[in-house]
Amino acid sequence: MAAAVELRNITKRFPGVVANDGVDFEAAEGEVHALLGENGAGKSTLSNILTGLYHPDDGQIFLYGKPVAFSAPREALDAGIGMVHQHFRLVPPFTVAENVILGDHRGEGKRFLVHPRHIERRVAELGERYRIAVDPRARIWQLSLGEQQRVEILKALYREAKILILDEPTAVLTPQEADSLFETVRVMADEGRTVIFISHKLHEVKAVSDRVTILRDGKTIATVDTASATPRSLASLMVGRDVQAVERVAREFGTGDPVLDVVDLRATGDRGDEALRGVTLTLCGGEIVGIAGVAGNGQRELAETITGMRAPTAGRVSVGGRPLRGGDAREAIAAGVAHVPEDRLHTGVAPSLSIASNLVLKSYRGGRVARGPLLRLRAIREHAVALIRRYDVRGGGPEVPARQLSGGNLQKVVLAREFDGAPRVLVVASPTRGLDVSAIETVHRYIRQAAGGGVGVLLISEDLDEIQALADRIAVMYEGSIVAEFEAGTATVEEIGLLMAGGARE
Amino acid sequence: MILAAGINDSIVVVVLASAVVYGTPLLYAALGELLAERSGVLNLGVEGMMLVGAVMGFWADLKTGSPGVAFLVAALSGALLSLIHAFLVVTLRANQIVSGLALTIFAGAAGLSSYLANDLNVADHPARHPFNSFLPHGWRTAPVVGPILFDQSAIVYLSWILVVAVAFYLGRTRPGLNLRAVGEAPAAADAMGINVAAYRYVHTLLGGALAGLGGAVFTLWITPQWQDGITGGAGWIAIALVIFAFWRPLLCIVGAYFFGAFSGIPFTFQARGILQGVPPELFQSLPYVMTIVVLVVVSSAGARRRIGAPAALGRPYVREER
Amino acid sequence: MIRIERRLEQPRWLAVAVPVGSLVAAFVVMTIVLLVTHHAPLHTFWRLIVTGFGSTFALNSTFVAATPLIFTGLCASVAFRMNLFNIGGEGQLYMGAILGAAAGIALGNHSGWLSVPAMIAAGLVGGAAFALIPGVLRAYLSTNEIIVSLMLNYVAALVIDYLIFDSLSYWRDTSTPSAKVFPQGKVLPDAATWPVLHVGGLELPLGLLLGLAVAVLVWVLYSRTKFGFEVRVIGDSPRAATYAGMRTRRKILAVMALSGAIAGLGGASQDGDFRHTLDPRGLTAAGYGYAGIVIAALARYNPFAVCLVAFLLGGLQNAGYALQGADFPSGLVGVLQGLILFCVLGGELLMRYRITLDRRSRSAEPAT
Repeated sequence: MAAAVELRNITKRFPGVVANDGVDFEAAEGEVHALLGENGAGKSTLSNILTGLYHPDDGQIFLYGKPVAFSAPREALDAGIGMVHQHFRLVPPFTVAENVILGDHRGEGKRFLVHPRHIERRVAELGERYRIAVDPRARIWQLSLGEQQRVEILKALYREAKILILDEPTAVLTPQEADSLFETVRVMADEGRTVIFISHKLHEVKAVSDRVTILRDGKTIATVDTASATPRSLASLMVGRDVQAVERVAREFGTGDPVLDVVDLRATGDRGDEALRGVTLTLCGGEIVGIAGVAGNGQRELAETITGMRAPTAGRVSVGGRPLRGGDAREAIAAGVAHVPEDRLHTGVAPSLSIASNLVLKSYRGGRVARGPLLRLRAIREHAVALIRRYDVRGGGPEVPARQLSGGNLQKVVLAREFDGAPRVLVVASPTRGLDVSAIETVHRYIRQAAGGGVGVLLISEDLDEIQALADRIAVMYEGSIVAEFEAGTATVEEIGLLMAGGARE
Repeated sequence: MILAAGINDSIVVVVLASAVVYGTPLLYAALGELLAERSGVLNLGVEGMMLVGAVMGFWADLKTGSPGVAFLVAALSGALLSLIHAFLVVTLRANQIVSGLALTIFAGAAGLSSYLANDLNVADHPARHPFNSFLPHGWRTAPVVGPILFDQSAIVYLSWILVVAVAFYLGRTRPGLNLRAVGEAPAAADAMGINVAAYRYVHTLLGGALAGLGGAVFTLWITPQWQDGITGGAGWIAIALVIFAFWRPLLCIVGAYFFGAFSGIPFTFQARGILQGVPPELFQSLPYVMTIVVLVVVSSAGARRRIGAPAALGRPYVREER
Repeated sequence: MIRIERRLEQPRWLAVAVPVGSLVAAFVVMTIVLLVTHHAPLHTFWRLIVTGFGSTFALNSTFVAATPLIFTGLCASVAFRMNLFNIGGEGQLYMGAILGAAAGIALGNHSGWLSVPAMIAAGLVGGAAFALIPGVLRAYLSTNEIIVSLMLNYVAALVIDYLIFDSLSYWRDTSTPSAKVFPQGKVLPDAATWPVLHVGGLELPLGLLLGLAVAVLVWVLYSRTKFGFEVRVIGDSPRAATYAGMRTRRKILAVMALSGAIAGLGGASQDGDFRHTLDPRGLTAAGYGYAGIVIAALARYNPFAVCLVAFLLGGLQNAGYALQGADFPSGLVGVLQGLILFCVLGGELLMRYRITLDRRSRSAEPAT
């Protein structure tokens, strides 16, 4: 098999970090080649360079033996490189067909006028051929994330991409949808296309790829044949040390009294649909309940309703036995509900404000840091210094703007602030998304500590590994309600995956 | 014939006919602003561009005696001015609101437009020839539709053609599709190889050109004369008009004539001696109040979901942002 | 190829160098414009400076010009800090002038010292109430405050016109036969004349002192109080503010009211300090509200910088007005103000981003 794409000695720097440091990479025709690495290892940067979005500071790219340089995404697209990004590049109000043909300037695209029917037919044909059918007339905002991903793949196929890059494609899929994707990938590879599969999940890499290249800290560590590698060997290459597969740490916990009671909670989503359809659950002090499910099944609305950011349309939330009025974040905070939100940069902190200000984001009204209407600036600063030290926040002093911190340190700031309020309930959503292994360990440690101290923890996460590692009880959310609840360790990944996709439990 | 004449003198017909007249500059400016906003660029400097277009168009007509050249000059002046705005907000990524306001102050009634008017000595000259209606007499005096539709000048008919052209451009052509993508999801458009900056530049310039044209409509047709601040806030109404029309060209006509009606009513009523006790300011304030009312209705959360503004409106686009 | 990268940190010297550099750039462009239109630049600039600041008389005139600008500049700053684009300072000032004049007229000469505080209060209330219209619409109906406040400027101008020119209102002077034919406002009673502080040869109007006091208050409010903290959070990230339990709607109302009140006070000051009557033509021609927005942007919404910039621009305007004539270009002030603003806006880029030249890449396409 000839080398379809080769990257030699690629280097790319950003302010403060070297994302790619002399990376060598090569993939053959008809091969499925996985790019494995933790978050921040440089995988996304590399693919952005390959697709012409970024320019490498150093190094060369070869396509089918010939050197190429892309100054814009269009050139990469013309050269036959297609990419399905983690965050889709789709135009929400447009139809599937309009998105597929957007920016295409060969053949059909050369025409000035747009003929919708014609395009829709071609898109439908493509969908059938690769078994990723979508309604060409549907508008993107009406589709599920899995369907939107299919549109992204159709876009690449429509442009006759010979090299296809998939960036963490299964993040938004159920295990069954992921299997279906792997089939599609195999079909494309068998046709002679090259598929570069970016992932940080070991079992996926094992399942779908022919070879694996491991990146760490922006450098190429190794390229191995998938068949001869074990998850353990891959993991150690990825992290640089010998690691155990993530195991559940059995905890001694005595559950206290119920700290959170949610009864038949209903709420409307941003699009006017009913996002929460009657959720009922109880959380006891010292317990960690994991809410598993594919993103978009009401988890965000659940977190927002419990923490008062969203008003419920029916049902009741009680903390420590006392019902909340709902729709009032201040009330929830006063009742002892802490919230580590999904979007830590844009919701969890005010990005341009200093770390010190962010650490008092919820407590600035209280006696310690305020006197009457005035703020006690020195007290705020001292408070920040103390918390920064206690939680080992790296990246600057109290006056540094929050947006300058790395993901892990930012999360520490959020956790520091939330724990500082001595909460009874902690709602955490996707707490370790985008963090590297050591940051993940740290966050998990804090969560366990909180539970150990009697706090009831509601862990909402799409990462089943994380839920299995931390939760005492697991609840699965699907389409706005809880479809199953069980003690940790009593269900297999397959069963949970099936529930996440709406299948009933035996 | 006598009956027809009677109807055509009725208050309704006269008001509607004048609505078309006063609405025409609004229509030009609104179409221009619509194009700019569809590319994601909010241009609050429309009033300034209209004024500069008004001055330069008037001057060009005085100098050359050719209305065609005059309009061309007006359009070019508006475009040049909007080039400043485009450069500031697209290339330099400045705040679009402040930049637009700066442009209005720069070019507005106490700025460039009066500077130019003074330097070019245009005050106190009436325009040499107002645009006349040119369709056959029989059509122009037809009952009701005559005065409203047929007794208008080429400027009005050109604006109608423009509306259709813009609507077709947006809905049925590839550049129009690309434009909409740029305004809704510039990151997606960029990733698909569309030059976001180029589209924003071009459409902001088009917006400026049409605004300049709109301004010249005042000085070359409606009140063929130059006065400081002659546009009287039409630029601002045009901005509101785009929202009123849900960013759709065909609805722009409706809105433009609706607001045009309220501008014309005070004079018509006064000439007829109608509603003598009512101060003219009341009528003059109606367009502004109506804009607010419409805005409130359009902005209510439900409406916004279904007929939203271009999603990227007002935000600069940077590709390599981490 | 030129590449634009976001800066991680902002070096201190940049915060001073950029605005200064922008000013210089603006003057350079202005010079070119003057040269092209056959006016002598240096001579023009010199005359501007001397007429604006070169003597006690000049300074006093500049104080007069600067006072309303301080108010409208603070009005805009207060709101813009929270991403509330209150463009209605103009109309809010008119409303303050209307109510202030009413208070002055109503109290006549009987109540002595009460008139001035009453006018101040009336100005505050008038401006605040008028600003609450876009405020309420924004807070409860999500209506864009830019267009609403803008439209209301025109409405306010029409109202003030109506009161003097097209009605026999309370504000209109109907005492003499000529006043009945040539409309003008009632002259305010002596008790409604605001005091002036004399320092050496300088005359500091009460309005100016109030303006400076308001600047201090705003600074304390925004940097040292819980209120200000909330404003900063909401301005930076409304979602974070909701997450933290802040009452965003109430803040919008409070900030709009504060913003309008300041502009309204400026209107009352116009009545009491300078015009001594309700003067529609003068107020609408001056455009204090819009100038205030420019000042706020130039001052980067810092209250003390607003005072400084207002003073400088006031001097400029004062000079421009005094020099108006056949040999001095009219509209000059607007052009210069606009140029300064453009250059400062452009300079903002340098503060937030770093421009590097990339010689290795072959293409000429811009990085945007």
